[in-house]
Amino acid sequence: MPLVQTKRLHKFFGKNHVLKGINLDIQEGEVVTIIGRSGSGKSTLLRTLNGLESIDDGTIEVDGTALVAGQGDLRALRQKVGMVFQQFNLFPHLSAGQNVMLAPQVVKGTKKDEAETIARNMLARVGLAEKFDAFPDQLSGGQQQRVAIARALAMSPKVLLCDEITSALDPELVNEVLSVVRQLASEGMTLVMVTHEMRFAREVSDKLVFMYEGRIHESGHPQEMFNNPTTPEFANFIRTQN
Amino acid sequence: MMMTFTLWDIIRNLAISGLLTIVLSVAAFVFGGLAGLAVLFARISKIRAINASARLYIEMFQGTPLLMQLFILFFGLSLFGLDLPAWLAAGVGLTLFTSAFLAEIWRGCVESVPRGQWEASTSLAMTYAEQMRHVILPQAMRMAIAPTVGFAVQVVKGTAVTSIIGFAELTKTGSMLSNATYQPFLLYSLVALGYFILCYPLSWYAQRLERKVHAPRTN
Repeated sequence: MPLVQTKRLHKFFGKNHVLKGINLDIQEGEVVTIIGRSGSGKSTLLRTLNGLESIDDGTIEVDGTALVAGQGDLRALRQKVGMVFQQFNLFPHLSAGQNVMLAPQVVKGTKKDEAETIARNMLARVGLAEKFDAFPDQLSGGQQQRVAIARALAMSPKVLLCDEITSALDPELVNEVLSVVRQLASEGMTLVMVTHEMRFAREVSDKLVFMYEGRIHESGHPQEMFNNPTTPEFANFIRTQN
Repeated sequence: MMMTFTLWDIIRNLAISGLLTIVLSVAAFVFGGLAGLAVLFARISKIRAINASARLYIEMFQGTPLLMQLFILFFGLSLFGLDLPAWLAAGVGLTLFTSAFLAEIWRGCVESVPRGQWEASTSLAMTYAEQMRHVILPQAMRMAIAPTVGFAVQVVKGTAVTSIIGFAELTKTGSMLSNATYQPFLLYSLVALGYFILCYPLSWYAQRLERKVHAPRTN
């Protein structure tokens, strides 16, 4: 049984059919990267996996918690699925430490000192142990994104979604974030990413999913896919990326 | 019989009625703030019937003069046998007026919290109430402080209108004294000075807060 499974996922924005029957299996510990042109549905697919976008038909199941056509226990699902955003979205009125402590305390009822221990551990894990008391506007973009990763990890999710998490960063700050992701991958964290960093995707992914017009057009092992694209659309996509 | 008023008598009477203006303003602001909070939550509710009624409420008060609102309360209710004393009609009228305006000011602040804050807290499995309490309202409140204090000035000036239904606050007392002394220019100048003394510190404070909120954090 895969950790994450979607079956015949459909999503409309008004009349626009953006996801057309997505079947996707993600095994525990797998690193999956979704690629495709803008408008192909890749971000929407990612955002349906924690219920940030509702679905119109189909099922999503994560570690035994199911959503059927959008109905199900979203709170349980979201505790199993962490998410990191392009724009970091840290809470600006809270320190880095408080950002990480908030959800465990509020959602899981973790005691304050225990939440603080978790937060210190998570910040250390992303290399920011000394920034516990810093506020988001005192941190660089790369540091903010690493706090956002720590914040998601503090809920001990089964899978972490990364939505173009380096796209808003200055080039010199991209690597510090990617190296955190690389480290998570090597520790066995299940990751689903949308990214434009093709070289990184090829290097860390176990599975590549190429989306085209709302469908999974081609998927498989990244090296094989890049070496032998089987569809002209994917071949074309690779050509325009390099 | 003709009474004579020394300047000291005039100032003392105005000062006493000024206290009534302050009490009325504070009451309207405090109760209006509490009611405004309720209207705010109704206004941003996802249930259509609730947010539509809140919107109608706000537009009713924003779209009519405060004077008419007081007339309707004071004279309208007496048609139904409900005789409100002037002080109560003034207090209730200003409270309702304040609640509508504060709710609308605060709605703007809640809605200017970026969407990403909702998405981040949603994806951390927080409920609507938890998001409001821990993520959205703390940020909205910070933005709301300056315009809220600024609106307090409007409330203080709004109390002048209650003189028309006979509530003896600063303006009403001023006009009674002016009738008795035949010195309207002196009296109304003193009344205006009284309002200025009440309002200036508030606007000064609101401006200071505004600068503080917009300044980058420095600690």
